[in-house]
Amino acid sequence: MGGFTEVNLAEFLGILPEILVLLWATLLLALDLFLPGGIPRRSMSLLSAGGLLIVALVTVLMRPAEPQVILGGMVRNDLFLTVFRLIFLLAAALTCLVSVDFRPLRAGSEYYVLVMFAAVAMSLMVGADNILMLYLATESASFTLYLLAGVQRGDRLSAEAGLKYFVFGAVTSTTMLFGLSLFFGLSGGQLSYKAIASALSQPELRLPFTLAALLVLVGFAFKTSAVPFQFWAPDVYQGAPSPVAGFISTASKAAGFGILLRFFFNAMPPGVSEASLSWVWLMQPIAILTMTVGSLLAVVQSNVKRMLAYSSVAQAGYVFVGVTAMALGALNRAEALAAVIFYLATYMLTNIVAFAVLGVVEQRVGGSDFQHFNGLARRAPYLALGMAASMLSLLGAPPMVGFAAKVIIFREAIGVDLVPLVAIGIVNVLISVAYYLNVVRAMYVERAETESPLFVPSTLGSVVMIVAVGLVVLTFASEPFWGLALEAARAFLRS
Amino acid sequence: MTMAEWALLVLLGALSLASALGLLLSRNAVYAALFLVLNFSVGAVIYLLFNAPFLAVTQVAVYAGAIMVLFVFVIMLLGAERLAPAENPPGLAYQRPLAIILAVALLAVAAWALLSGAQIEPSPSVAPRPDSSPQAMGMWLFGPYLLPLQVVALLLLAAMVGALVLSRKS
Amino acid sequence: MDATSFVTFLSAALFVIGALGVLLRRSALLIFMSVELMLNAANLAFVTFAHRWGQLDGQVTVFFIMTIAAAEVAVGLALIVTIFRTKRSTSVDELAQLRG
Repeated sequence: MGGFTEVNLAEFLGILPEILVLLWATLLLALDLFLPGGIPRRSMSLLSAGGLLIVALVTVLMRPAEPQVILGGMVRNDLFLTVFRLIFLLAAALTCLVSVDFRPLRAGSEYYVLVMFAAVAMSLMVGADNILMLYLATESASFTLYLLAGVQRGDRLSAEAGLKYFVFGAVTSTTMLFGLSLFFGLSGGQLSYKAIASALSQPELRLPFTLAALLVLVGFAFKTSAVPFQFWAPDVYQGAPSPVAGFISTASKAAGFGILLRFFFNAMPPGVSEASLSWVWLMQPIAILTMTVGSLLAVVQSNVKRMLAYSSVAQAGYVFVGVTAMALGALNRAEALAAVIFYLATYMLTNIVAFAVLGVVEQRVGGSDFQHFNGLARRAPYLALGMAASMLSLLGAPPMVGFAAKVIIFREAIGVDLVPLVAIGIVNVLISVAYYLNVVRAMYVERAETESPLFVPSTLGSVVMIVAVGLVVLTFASEPFWGLALEAARAFLRS
Repeated sequence: MTMAEWALLVLLGALSLASALGLLLSRNAVYAALFLVLNFSVGAVIYLLFNAPFLAVTQVAVYAGAIMVLFVFVIMLLGAERLAPAENPPGLAYQRPLAIILAVALLAVAAWALLSGAQIEPSPSVAPRPDSSPQAMGMWLFGPYLLPLQVVALLLLAAMVGALVLSRKS
Repeated sequence: MDATSFVTFLSAALFVIGALGVLLRRSALLIFMSVELMLNAANLAFVTFAHRWGQLDGQVTVFFIMTIAAAEVAVGLALIVTIFRTKRSTSVDELAQLRG
């Protein structure tokens, strides 16, 4: 019989960061409604970003020393969640800042409120310790993202992107839900990950559990844009407002990996039963396909936004290399997980900058094809520098932090004898030289028809420059961040 | 389960499948919506049989009521009730057989997997029948499920704000 | 066969019919209705298992899923109406501007 436990209100302190963001978001929404004329858009963006950054500080200060399951078994609050919270809060803050001068977004303050809601929902996704919470949080995050993708009013492409994202998202999440219902039935009417894990050992249930795991994996694959559920990404990124595309490709993807790791390692831990093999064996093929399909399709794109979409598919493939190493190797599991976390965090910074610059080019030059980047180095030198830093980091070229992240992931994979997988990964990195450097070449070698300087909004310009410098600095000062990732990984495994 | 209950369950199952197929094959969006209403209502009766009276009422009120009314409203608003006769555009011709094969395979796998797991279940009469009255459900919602309740509130707020932003005139 | 297995099969069949609808229909509205059918199949499975194991958790879960379905309809129909305003069609094949 499921224990009927009263929720202790003090336990809500464990999700204080989420509560603070929600309070701030609703307060801003209400102020915008009641102040005459509303909150000016520029202040709205700064207020949202500022609030998110302050909450990030609170998150660091309130990090739990020991993993604890709170609120009636709904949320597991540990250092792993803390690190993901930081990724989401930072991603949301950066998205708010770079959206300030994105003119097509005349939607007003609701846009920023939805970004904050999305960050909260993503944190709850990663915190979920129970299949009901998993589904609710995933759907909350998805809904806000569908709306954000379609928010560019009067723009056909944006509404189309929203609808496409919505249809694919609804179908895959419903498939996931059906899988979850099977988990509920097979584990004797239990919702928590731990209870599912203890029901796994019955050998007669191996097949049903495999089926359920595959159905659930569909939902995770959509969130992480893993092959064969990557096809929505280019269309949605192209149609969505650029800052939103940056947010979806980073924060939402990180959240997808967060729930994948949490669910599979807690509910179906590898090595405990035969049923776990269903997903463990799939990680390597998914990693290979996702990397390869992503890079091959990125090469043939003529539009930078679509190229970045396929590139983000390929990047998810590299993360799956780390997940494979984690699933197959028992000894260095903590290091492999830390590598995954580190990769996701650096990729978030890098890709948001790329989409921010893309947004400026889209608006001021008039398109997002490679030719629109021609001569950008002369027209907006700092912006071009930021974009070049981002491209090199995505490629994994030293001295950018993307290099360190890729080296660590591949090192951990080699540590568990996944040499062929790493070889395929390196081939894909070599392929990706073509499309990442193509952007750099357009900016620095090609000439534009006009040399007139491009107007770069000051907020966006400074954000791009700060993050670009950070991408280099992080390489040399990665020690504390790597230490934090490792600590988070250990907390994750201590369950 | 008594014989009469079994007969009712089989009848409901057949009705449910038939209405689902009606949705799948219907050429008119309004008919499709009505088939779906029928399917949801049958579901509500099955819920009643399975000791879920609160959900049965919610099913009728929320699904068959609110959700389907919204659907029919939008169909009428858009004048989109007549679906194009050529449902299969060129270039997607391969999709239909592929989808049917996939579906049959999925169903077969599901049946096989569930059957192989079904044998070890103890007899259903063992299971207790918990109090599932609306009062009991309320106690659960505001007890152990307090956080999910709050999350749903967030979701509804976000959906409302978003739907308003989308449908506001530029 | 007991009642639990019977209704579990029924829900699997409904789920597959819904999935077929998603794959075969070209109208966004009908795809959307098929998704609702799939959601309902999952609900049916949850209620059956809740009855089978005597756990109320499954029923509470279904209650939450219904809420989500309602929100989903609001968001989805808002998006469909937005598109329809500019295009006068609900066919997904006309969503072809995003190709490259």
